[in-house]
Amino acid sequence: MKASYVIKRILLTVFIFFVVVTLCFFIPRIGVTDPASRYYPVQSAGMSDDVYEAIKEQVRIQYGLNGSTWEQYITYLGKLFSGDLGNSYQSGTPKVIDLIADRLPWTLVLSVSNLLISLVIGIIIGTMAAWKRGRWQDRALLNASTFTTALPAFFIALILSFYLGFEWEIFPAYTDQNMVPNFDWSWKAISTVAYNAALPVFAMAIGGIVSYGQSTRNSVIAVSGDEFILTAKSKGLSNNRVIYGHTLRNALLPIVTQFGMNVSGLIGGSVVIEQIFNWNGMGTLFLTANSNNDYPLMMGIMIFMSAFALVANLLTDFVYCLLDPRVTLGGR
Amino acid sequence: MKSLTKKITALALGVLLLSGTLLSAGCATSIAERRTDTSSTLYVGYVSSAFPTSFFPWQSRDGIAPTVSSMIYNTLFSFDEETGEYLPAIAQEWCYVDKQGNPLVDENGEIDYQKVEDYYAGNDTSYMVVRVKLFDDATWSDGEPVTVEDVYYTFDVATDNALSGHAGALAWTGDLQHTSASGVLQQQGMFTYAHDEWGRYPYAEDEHDTVIYLHVNKVLGAVATLFTSILILPEHIWKPLVDADHQLNNQNPTEEFTEQYENPVGCGAWTLNTQQSSSQMIVLENRGTDYHLKDKEDPSQPLYKVQTIKFMLYMEQNTAIYALLKGYVDMLDVSMSSNYKNLFEQEEDIQMLEVDGTSISTLVMNVNPKPEYDTPMRTVLKNSEVRRAIALAVNQEDIIASVLNGAGKPASAGLMLESQSELYSEEANILSGEYTARVAEANEILDRLYPEKDKEGYRLADGARLRFEILANPAELELVSYLQRQMQQIGVEVEYKAEGSMAEDTYLFDGNFDMTFQAAIFNVSNVDVMYRSHFEQVDSRSSNYGRLMDETLNATIAAMRTSLNLDTKYALTKEIQKLIAEEYYKVPIYSSNVISVARTDRFRGYVASAGETAFNTDTLEVLEKVV
Amino acid sequence: MKKVLMRIGCILMQILYAIGRFFKKLWKHKQGRVGLIIVGFLAILAIFAPLIAPYDPYDVTQRAAKGLLPSWEHLLGTTITTGQDIFSMLIYGTRSSLSIGLITGIVIAILGSLLGIAAGYLGGWVDTVIMRIVDVLLVIPTLPLVIVMTNVLGTSYAVIVIVFAAFGWTGLARVIRSQVMLIKNANYVKAAELAGASKWYIMWRHILPAVSNLLIMSTALTSAGIMVAEAGLSFLGLGNPEAISWGKMLADAQSSGAMLFGHWWSILAPGVGIFLSVYSFMRIGLALEEILNPRMRKGSNMIKVFKHLNNTYLDEVFASMDDDSKRRGEYQPPAANLAEVAVTDAAETKPQDPNAGPAADTTSENFEPAEKETGETA
Repeated sequence: MKASYVIKRILLTVFIFFVVVTLCFFIPRIGVTDPASRYYPVQSAGMSDDVYEAIKEQVRIQYGLNGSTWEQYITYLGKLFSGDLGNSYQSGTPKVIDLIADRLPWTLVLSVSNLLISLVIGIIIGTMAAWKRGRWQDRALLNASTFTTALPAFFIALILSFYLGFEWEIFPAYTDQNMVPNFDWSWKAISTVAYNAALPVFAMAIGGIVSYGQSTRNSVIAVSGDEFILTAKSKGLSNNRVIYGHTLRNALLPIVTQFGMNVSGLIGGSVVIEQIFNWNGMGTLFLTANSNNDYPLMMGIMIFMSAFALVANLLTDFVYCLLDPRVTLGGR
Repeated sequence: MKSLTKKITALALGVLLLSGTLLSAGCATSIAERRTDTSSTLYVGYVSSAFPTSFFPWQSRDGIAPTVSSMIYNTLFSFDEETGEYLPAIAQEWCYVDKQGNPLVDENGEIDYQKVEDYYAGNDTSYMVVRVKLFDDATWSDGEPVTVEDVYYTFDVATDNALSGHAGALAWTGDLQHTSASGVLQQQGMFTYAHDEWGRYPYAEDEHDTVIYLHVNKVLGAVATLFTSILILPEHIWKPLVDADHQLNNQNPTEEFTEQYENPVGCGAWTLNTQQSSSQMIVLENRGTDYHLKDKEDPSQPLYKVQTIKFMLYMEQNTAIYALLKGYVDMLDVSMSSNYKNLFEQEEDIQMLEVDGTSISTLVMNVNPKPEYDTPMRTVLKNSEVRRAIALAVNQEDIIASVLNGAGKPASAGLMLESQSELYSEEANILSGEYTARVAEANEILDRLYPEKDKEGYRLADGARLRFEILANPAELELVSYLQRQMQQIGVEVEYKAEGSMAEDTYLFDGNFDMTFQAAIFNVSNVDVMYRSHFEQVDSRSSNYGRLMDETLNATIAAMRTSLNLDTKYALTKEIQKLIAEEYYKVPIYSSNVISVARTDRFRGYVASAGETAFNTDTLEVLEKVV
Repeated sequence: MKKVLMRIGCILMQILYAIGRFFKKLWKHKQGRVGLIIVGFLAILAIFAPLIAPYDPYDVTQRAAKGLLPSWEHLLGTTITTGQDIFSMLIYGTRSSLSIGLITGIVIAILGSLLGIAAGYLGGWVDTVIMRIVDVLLVIPTLPLVIVMTNVLGTSYAVIVIVFAAFGWTGLARVIRSQVMLIKNANYVKAAELAGASKWYIMWRHILPAVSNLLIMSTALTSAGIMVAEAGLSFLGLGNPEAISWGKMLADAQSSGAMLFGHWWSILAPGVGIFLSVYSFMRIGLALEEILNPRMRKGSNMIKVFKHLNNTYLDEVFASMDDDSKRRGEYQPPAANLAEVAVTDAAETKPQDPNAGPAADTTSENFEPAEKETGETA
């Protein structure tokens, strides 16, 4: 992997991030002359215009909307470099970064669990299906995958929450907001979180398992063709090792790619599921910000998600290079 | 391969076992804290996106913050909707006095409005003097006594824009004739023993700390917001902290300020349990006998019967209802739709309270758009005859039956509820009467003005169909479709139009709409402010969406505000209702009931007055624990 | 004037002929037939909805009591908040869902092909600019971005189509671009260039037909993806509030507490509707792929597309529809059953690198089908 490639890639990432940030800054200002106008209070009778102007200026300062658009943009960029994503419009104007930090772990609990479960079980199932190619395991996997791809994940989640949650009451249909008021790493806290997270993760993982399973199966078969089955049936252990070593390493490439994409969508991908189960993560934070027209919070979350996706992509590229040095990325 | 399969199977079984124990452990310990809680703790569910962590009264205006602030802090008085009187909170009594400080009361000690009017109407002063006496045993939660200096400081800072960051001006001290600027007194309108250089007013020996005199504008409603909406702050905490560089309503608070915001010291009956409170749960502890107001029947008992209140946050109403059904909370501080009534009727342990609402939903018609927003249809609406026809065609009973499932009442065109007995004017109720007769009359009016109709039966004005767009949010779609049907009977078409995006933010204030919905609440305590906001103020962000500019109405409102005679005031209010009704500017659609639910397996005796959910101070005073 | 009209008429005839040919091929293909039947069924429901549905859900006079259980009068009962007949709403929902999916799919096809061909053929700064835009759009999480745009621009039908199209063309553009870059060097193209044909002419008459197969295939798949995404959007309450769509029915069911009441049918029914529409389009797309590109019937990248349709949204969908240029060259005989379809090489699935053009693999044998097609229409 050439150093020049690494540098080029990083520069590209920075450039894209910059464009994203600019977009996020200007989108809420589309077609709006005075973004603070919705927050001005009523001018009570007897209040002179000067006083009212002063109050309006105060409101603008409070929401960080004073100065010309260009000035606001520069301030915005400056703050971004120091890691400050602005203040939300909620009462008490908490910092966006604090709100995100508060909710991020909860989203990660769901997404990471989903990813791990899908990955591990998916690979196992996929390899088994590849080994039993043509038999019922293989066909079952294929049917499952066509079935689950046409069903939106949130629908699966609704069905699960209805039956497992409301009717049979095995899991809580709505996760409790106060499941762990103060999270210490005790067995009680962990088990409570796990219990509440079970349904959302399960809903997401159904599709994920089938998806990884199908990819694994396809790539294992592609990489080794019939050799795989023939050699698998032979008894030579060392041969097996060789096949597995060679096969898996190459078969893993599409998995890595898929994994990389899932990682980059780690934060933004569970918006609807979180809403269904009332799971207090970044997704619900975003939705409530949207309904309150809380633009700094919305844009802050988007920038955060994009940054995360960018970094994840970058890392995936590098991992990919390591796994398959033949691929000269970027070089012609 | 087989050994690999065996290994995998073994591993899988192990993982399953582990997750099984994990989940069942979680199942056992999670959530149901309330079910096993035998203490006197009330679990209240609240629907909101987040809970604030700071409860500074002037900062937090939305969600649960005002409720909690008003429990931690106190105002001078609280307002009794039914009798129209001021009930003691920090202050025990008040009256008007003359310029020497002599009370203008009758032989029973009650305020004699006749005396007040006689004295002040002819008087050349621009103000009236009010005397307020506090309780002498009220204390702050850190032990310090509540004195008039706290009241003085609070009102003073409220008028001082430099110190309060203009927030005080929004606290409605507009009727108090006292101002300070940057800590320097400009015009003194309040007098206490310590702040009365020239000894203008009398202070008895034991009243040095409990009596304050206020100069207010010469309107009867001047005391309303001063008494009931300004939460009093502790001077000994804030005065040392606040200066021009460190404003009271600071948006970038220093550490000391944040410390005070998050650990509020108030004089209310409740204190915030900061250890247990978080962004998901607010815990309030009863100060018990520490609080100066006691139980009305038995003064040795504290006023409120519940030891602790825990507010639990739910993001969505259905989650909250689910929590209630499952027993995670005792009650919900939520007014719910009547569609859920069936859900609760079967449940044994659940009590449903349905009370009259206090607000009236109205259909607002744009009567006076700004010239740049004038359209042919809006010109049609300028004619009050057309508006009258539309108003006649609104069938409140039909809407209440279909949209509200019967959980509501028709409202008078004067926009005053019958329960407001002092103010309600039956004469203003001009839109009642049999519906078919009303429709006939409406058609008669429109036949005169717009006799032409197109193929589908809609009337034409200069060849264009009479068509109005109602600005509404998606929840009101059903309402709009019923109105469509009703308007169809008189040949008028109405359509749903989604409320504009941010760019159109000022549409309501500039008159850039045909029709929209608005809720109106008028009662004894707010008519002074609300009538002006709804019908008089123009070119500002008031509630007068349609920019009505009616001189007679404005004059009557001004007269009502400034009258010092209570009877005249009430008579003028009735007059105003008639004028409002005849404008056909805000047409009543319904007044919906407030439906709330509570569980009766731990507490009993929930009550609710008009417009309240089961969670209110009356309930807290009478609640009994089920043993 | 007459000439222009004749030109347009000719083109229309060609398009109709091509479409007819596709339908015939689809019908013969076993999987395609299934898809076609379901789509036909849904289309009939959509077009003749007023005749088929027992009630008109838009008509206020036809409301019944709220929250009724299924009965003979109301096959799926009524909604809890408004008392509309759920079965009728289901039938009317086909209109909104199918139309948004198709229209957006077509707009994406137009946009994506235009930009992809331009980037691929014209190269240079045009290419760089377009690819950078694609990068930026891929990085921003799609669903939140769509939510923000509906917040700012409103939630009408047009806005939703525009927003989805504006953020959904990226994957298609990339795929088309990579294919164009391969075709660019083909002999007949070079010949046309030498003969002095203008760039636009070449793009229109040679390049476009060459990628037309890919285009048509992806229109079907894109429509499927859009239908899922739109269902998600209306589920969040951000779709067009006046239209009756399945996503909105699910949202209403959930927010009105259907689950609290135990009305499972009001949740199941719209979900089945979504499933049927997406599944049928998927099938058609897959079948088209098998029919049109026998060499490319490895079909893997398309299958991967569908895996992603399930649990993530558009960006994953389109990011995975990537360069088919890197292939391992394993040829499999035509298979009627998807189970036989083997996946291609790993490298092909790598979506991230915008610059990864056809560099690594330039064996021209993979591109004969394309050449053949252009040979026909040339």
